[in-house]
Amino acid sequence: MTHRAINQLSFEVKKGEFVAVMGPSGSGKTTLLNLISTIDSATSGTIKIDGLSPDEMSKTELALFRRRQLGFVFQDFNLLQMLTVEENLVLPLTLDGHRIAEMKRRVMDLAKKLGLEQILEKRPNEISGGQAQRTAIGRALIHQPAIILADEPTGNLDSKASRDVLELLVKVNQEQKTTILMVTHDPIAASYCDRVVFIKDGEFFNEIYSDDRRQTFFQRILNVLSLLGGNVNDLSTIRLP
Amino acid sequence: MTFRQFAYRNVVRNRRIYAAFFMASMFSVMVFFMYSMLMFHPKIDDEFLRESAVLGMIVAEVILYIFTLFFLFYSMSAFLQARSKEFGLLLQLGMEKKQLNKLIFFETMLIGVVSVTTGILFGYAFSKFFLMIVRELLQLESLPLYISFKPFALTMGAFFSLFVIIAMTSVVFIREQKIIELIRGYWKSDDLQSYSTIKAVGGIIMLLFSYAAAALTSINVVKALSIILPPIAALGTYYFFTHSVIFLHDQVRKRKFLYWHRFRLIAISEGAVKLRENARMYFIVTIVSTVAFLSVGTLTSLTSYTGQFRELNPLSLIYSSELTNPYESEHISLLRNELEEQGLSYNLVPFVIKQQTSSYSQYKVNILQESDVNGLAMALGLPLIELLPGNGMLIPYSEESIDTLEDQEIQTVLEESNLPVQINGVYPQMLFPSMIIGSNIIVLSDEDYQLITEPLTGRTNMTSSFKFFAFHVAQWERTKSIGLEIDTQVTDAIYKENFSNLPFYFENPGLNYSIIQATFSLLLFTGLMVAAVLLLAAGSFIYFKLYTGLERDKRQFNVLKRMGLTDQELIKIVNRQLIPQFFLPWGVAMLHSAFSFLSLQVIWHNLAEISILGDMILVLVGFTSIQVVYYFLIRWRYIAHVRAS
Repeated sequence: MTHRAINQLSFEVKKGEFVAVMGPSGSGKTTLLNLISTIDSATSGTIKIDGLSPDEMSKTELALFRRRQLGFVFQDFNLLQMLTVEENLVLPLTLDGHRIAEMKRRVMDLAKKLGLEQILEKRPNEISGGQAQRTAIGRALIHQPAIILADEPTGNLDSKASRDVLELLVKVNQEQKTTILMVTHDPIAASYCDRVVFIKDGEFFNEIYSDDRRQTFFQRILNVLSLLGGNVNDLSTIRLP
Repeated sequence: MTFRQFAYRNVVRNRRIYAAFFMASMFSVMVFFMYSMLMFHPKIDDEFLRESAVLGMIVAEVILYIFTLFFLFYSMSAFLQARSKEFGLLLQLGMEKKQLNKLIFFETMLIGVVSVTTGILFGYAFSKFFLMIVRELLQLESLPLYISFKPFALTMGAFFSLFVIIAMTSVVFIREQKIIELIRGYWKSDDLQSYSTIKAVGGIIMLLFSYAAAALTSINVVKALSIILPPIAALGTYYFFTHSVIFLHDQVRKRKFLYWHRFRLIAISEGAVKLRENARMYFIVTIVSTVAFLSVGTLTSLTSYTGQFRELNPLSLIYSSELTNPYESEHISLLRNELEEQGLSYNLVPFVIKQQTSSYSQYKVNILQESDVNGLAMALGLPLIELLPGNGMLIPYSEESIDTLEDQEIQTVLEESNLPVQINGVYPQMLFPSMIIGSNIIVLSDEDYQLITEPLTGRTNMTSSFKFFAFHVAQWERTKSIGLEIDTQVTDAIYKENFSNLPFYFENPGLNYSIIQATFSLLLFTGLMVAAVLLLAAGSFIYFKLYTGLERDKRQFNVLKRMGLTDQELIKIVNRQLIPQFFLPWGVAMLHSAFSFLSLQVIWHNLAEISILGDMILVLVGFTSIQVVYYFLIRWRYIAHVRAS
């Protein structure tokens, strides 16, 4: 998968890879994610996902593309308040007109994996932040997308819930071979990934690969971040527990 | 969950936000349905007065329809704006534009179907009651509930088509929007424009100008003003809310000793945000409320007219007759018989009016004799008069003429009979309905009256005098069925413009009164219900805006409570936020109406010499109390919600 964002930014995410994009505030992380999400369009350059070019698609094709190939996880969960957890989970399938039996089967399957069985009938305002984010991940997974795009998924969670969510993402990535692209400025979150791409002012800055030891990977991430300079206060200074 | 279930759940689980909107549309359907029940009533269309009732219903239905269309259109666009983030999210999750349109269409139609159905159900349930009231107002024998498909078909056809229009057009609001802008809440930003000082001052000036013009108007210019002023006042109101209020608010903010004072800091800064966000809503609420106040006020002023009708028409039946009239005795005995059949006691005072030319004005004067006037005054319980020979007194021809003629002293000669008369003052009460005899009426002593022997120049003795038969009936409201036959002949003659050939004239104020009263009270009743729909809609706008801001307010009060805001202070802040929401548009609407009534008073005074002040105050006080009740109701719920956070 190749990405070419405006300021000459170009990188690939391999199938089944878990990649984090880091950078200080205003470095273009969210714009990059919006471009890949196909809800914003670049003036030049191309994006290819699973061999498909969203730039060349019509609006309807884009909608179909998003609901079949992309899964979204947001910082503030963005669950629909008037739907229950279960209904939020099946929403992408509803939009695609799947059969009820099929929806039921997939919900049961997912709920077990994500530990949501007890709260399926609850509404989003009745559950904790961690549960809400797990629901959102379920919603992003249920239609088996080509890639999950996560925007600061731990930004609104405490450290325990953050760890749960990140471990869940790793599990999904490893067991289902789901490709994940995550934007974050939390080095702890980034340390769960296979690879971290750093950008600054919309341009590629650096990238580092994990060496399977999260503690050292975390230290290396911190090193790059200090190299990145800019406003260090933007970056989390917490150490790993 | 299928797509339809999804749309259905969106509505059902958002019911609290839809509640006020639903109530207003349901009520509108209900009123519309009841009006159509009356319109299609099988007992109505063949009777004469009821034509005006049917016409009134049609007008009311058209107003209701147009207003509901506008109301739904505005509400839907406000709903969709408030939900823009949700729509953006759905589009990002891969909903097609087509599906989004379908979703909105489906949701709108769902509300439509439910409000039309419940509206018709309630409408039918209350129809019996409604028809009973109308029967009383129109004094009909019976107006039973009936079953026909027509009112159902009309109401359903009208409102389903209305909701289809709304469902199709409201989608336009999100058609060309980019997803990313939806998610950011694109629409919110343009509500927060800053003000322009010129427009702010211009708004105030336009309003002051309109008020001054309305207050100082006179009958000569009132017509022109009634065309010019409403647009100026409307534009002024718009600028007032979108610019002037924010401008004034900013002036307070600049004075820190006012602004940085305890909880005022929060109340004032929050107020500013609310004022800006809601400026357009305030404008619409003001205009809608003004229209409601004015329509009820105008209709009430019609009722003041019926209230003062009796004073202007002290006599119950009047039959005037030329001396050559061959029907005279036949008609009078007919009237007597009918009165006796109805068991109405009466007092008949016949008298003759002679006509002469006055040397003073060279006009024709109508002359009564003292004993006849006293006979009439006795029957009516009015003061008696005593005239010396050579003296005369004017008889008022209208309520206003009593004042203008009071100090008149005229020396004149009744030319044909060469009789000099000194006329002093005017009789202090109305004796005859205005203009029935003409405008120059004097009363002379019996002796002088006998001296008038010569006919008016150019006439014979037979055509120079008129005979009058004045019936006084204590229960004058019950005379409406007396003399219908004669009344019809008079009406026909007037209608065929053959009036001057008719040797007699008949007037039955009781009949006129019952027609006027029935028509006016039906109009008032209809108008009240339309006004209720308008006010409910205005209330629903306020409710909706409050409700959509509730989550944010909750969060904010939560923070403030942690910072040590006491409960009393919280209530004070809530008051200061809610009071402008409720009473600012209402207050401006009140002012608008009050000044419009000043102009209306000028028209009424000219038309029928009637004061509408008392009724207007009653109307304004009535509306105020409704608004106060609504305020306390909403405040109670709002505080409960904010405290629960």
